[in-house]
Amino acid sequence: MNIVVCIKQVPDAPNIRVDRERMTIIRDGVESIINPLDRVALEAALDLRQKEGGTVCVLTMGPSRSEEALREAMAAGADQAILLTDPHFAGADTLATSRVIGRAISRMDPFPDLILCGRQTIDSDTGHVGPQLAEELDVPQVCGVTEIHLDGNALVVKQVSDGFQNTYRVTFPALLTVSQGLHIPRHIALGALEQAFSSARVQRWGLRELKLQPEEVGFSGSATTVLRLHRPPQKRKGEVVSGSSQTLTERLIAKLVSLSILDEDDAG
Amino acid sequence: MKMMQDKGWKGVWVFGDYRNYFQNRVTLQLISKGKELAAQLGTEVTVLVLGSQVHPYAMEYTAHGADAVMVVDHPSLENYQVETYVRIVSQLVESFKPEIFLAGATAFGREFFPRLAKRLNTGLSADCVALEIDAETGFLIQSTPAFGGELLADILTPKHRPQMATVHPGVFEERSHDPQATARMVYPEVDIHAEERVQLIRSKPDQSPKGGLEEAELVLVGGKGLGSKENFHMLFELARLLGGEVGATRPVILSGWTEESRLLGQTGKSVKPKVLITAGTSGAVQYTTGIQGAETVIAINRDPHAPIFKMADLGLVGDAKTVLSLLLEKLRKRL
Amino acid sequence: MKFRESLVSAHHNYLVNQMLSPGFLLGDLNSKEDFWFLADIVPAGMNEPNIHGRIFDHHGHFVLEMGFNKITENPEGCVIEPLAGGFQIRHAGGEPLLRVHTVVFANGYLTRIQGKLYDPEGKTRVEPLLDGIQVFGKGTLALTRRQLFL
Repeated sequence: MNIVVCIKQVPDAPNIRVDRERMTIIRDGVESIINPLDRVALEAALDLRQKEGGTVCVLTMGPSRSEEALREAMAAGADQAILLTDPHFAGADTLATSRVIGRAISRMDPFPDLILCGRQTIDSDTGHVGPQLAEELDVPQVCGVTEIHLDGNALVVKQVSDGFQNTYRVTFPALLTVSQGLHIPRHIALGALEQAFSSARVQRWGLRELKLQPEEVGFSGSATTVLRLHRPPQKRKGEVVSGSSQTLTERLIAKLVSLSILDEDDAG
Repeated sequence: MKMMQDKGWKGVWVFGDYRNYFQNRVTLQLISKGKELAAQLGTEVTVLVLGSQVHPYAMEYTAHGADAVMVVDHPSLENYQVETYVRIVSQLVESFKPEIFLAGATAFGREFFPRLAKRLNTGLSADCVALEIDAETGFLIQSTPAFGGELLADILTPKHRPQMATVHPGVFEERSHDPQATARMVYPEVDIHAEERVQLIRSKPDQSPKGGLEEAELVLVGGKGLGSKENFHMLFELARLLGGEVGATRPVILSGWTEESRLLGQTGKSVKPKVLITAGTSGAVQYTTGIQGAETVIAINRDPHAPIFKMADLGLVGDAKTVLSLLLEKLRKRL
Repeated sequence: MKFRESLVSAHHNYLVNQMLSPGFLLGDLNSKEDFWFLADIVPAGMNEPNIHGRIFDHHGHFVLEMGFNKITENPEGCVIEPLAGGFQIRHAGGEPLLRVHTVVFANGYLTRIQGKLYDPEGKTRVEPLLDGIQVFGKGTLALTRRQLFL
């Protein structure tokens, strides 16, 4: 079974700080990681390869330094890695991104049986690339899967969607986006990581290799643009209290009493 | 002013997402906001309903303000199916050319709308928390959280049509039910080829404990700042003693401290309790959109500059775990 | 793309030609000789359909006239009987002539009619279609005003 896993290198979100004056991210000292749900997708791919045989290829669209993410994926066990990089690819919305990644996957021979990605990324968080890539490639999709099984020449997958647990049968080739409940990423052995960074080859494809025109990719190939950034409107101007844990707890209790969550007597 | 109207794109469409209707009221919320947008554009709101035996929903949407309801009713459409719906809806959009098309950011909406936008080669913004018409251009300004949730991005789809957006449930308010309302019904003669490469084998209600989060009067939310799974689990005992429910932020879910059904925020649930206590959460917009409806917010965080304090009515700067254990101790003695 | 249009009421609708409609009229309700059939608009606050008409059989013979869900002229001895959620009219011999049934859900009501009705020339004007009816000949498929008052 030939599997392609689409990953994205993202800033380690909880550590993002924003320069509120200039409305830009402060990138100093912010680590880049593989998007957590993409790691889950990679783990699912490696698991399937272990059971069914085949190959796992990881792919990402990004600037040159995204190669780190691919090397990390290879250290975890991916057989092959492709970096889609080109100055023209910058500023892409999901419409343009899915076009680039879709063209790259269409170039693969043989065409993969299965394409896996995380359901959404922690930075842009739209969750659009999976379905749009499936549409670009004209393959069926199931999003947010929590279980994947092979059954003859089809996949049986489970998904939780809008309060229902659904089980689907999907023909190959197919695209699945994975949800948190699927697998926990394995830790990469340190030796493997060093090896991945020194010897493994990462292919690089740009505009030319993909036979795309500048107006089909990046900012020019996008349908949406960002008009402006601004701070979310602040509706509450509450009071902020500091002090010992004892003081804070008393304050909390007093507030809960005033809100009738606790009675005067319950409050210590 | 309205460049795109010259090319014949007119109307505000809302996708009728009626699964779990009564709890799921996002379509009604979008009809309400859609009417506002339509009034500014001099047009009307049409709700698109696909399915089998969907007449009750057509009537409900009429009662809640739809100017028109477009129905495709056929037995093979009984279950929501991505590819079949994309095939049908894209034909309808290409024929009727709505200028704006909105859908709720339910799980189905987030799976179906992007594929539809790609089929139509148009732009789509995700999980919007605000929608406005730009006074000068007539474009739809779509606001979504950006940069890890610290800022809001106002997004435009200047050249492509329709302008599509999914909207987080709970952001807009529905209009009340009006039994005197009437609407136009439109029954398009569209080809229905329900050939699906994805076959639904089985569907059952999700068993995982919802905890009645959306109905709770008191919600206790824990973030990564609580430090550990054991510390997070204090919230369950507190919830039991105080009579409330427990919610979590995404970093907590990713760390496996509790199940995904407790996730609050952009990709989780929205809650509107009377009181919400948020402990060890920094306050990323992706989380706070899920709690902004709470009447009173009490936040506990070690960092005095944490954005959560701007969202709180009362902020306590300190170690959340310690404060909550002290509270728990006192409550155990009394209750 | 071709499409059909109707109206829908938030409160009560009939199912006719596979479309919702607040009320529909076939023929001229003032006629004393010809076929006519009225499923009238049901105002908010009321929850029963209002069925009126002058009905013939497939030979073109006059069968009955009805108003406000009751038979007013009955030369053939048809029988009207209540059903859960509606009523049914049968020929003297027992065969069903007309069935009217209303379901309620949430805040609204939907009335389904079943029957095969003819005009004085023996032409079909109403016949069953799936769980509703298909209608033929002159008429207004989506009324905007109530036609008859007690």
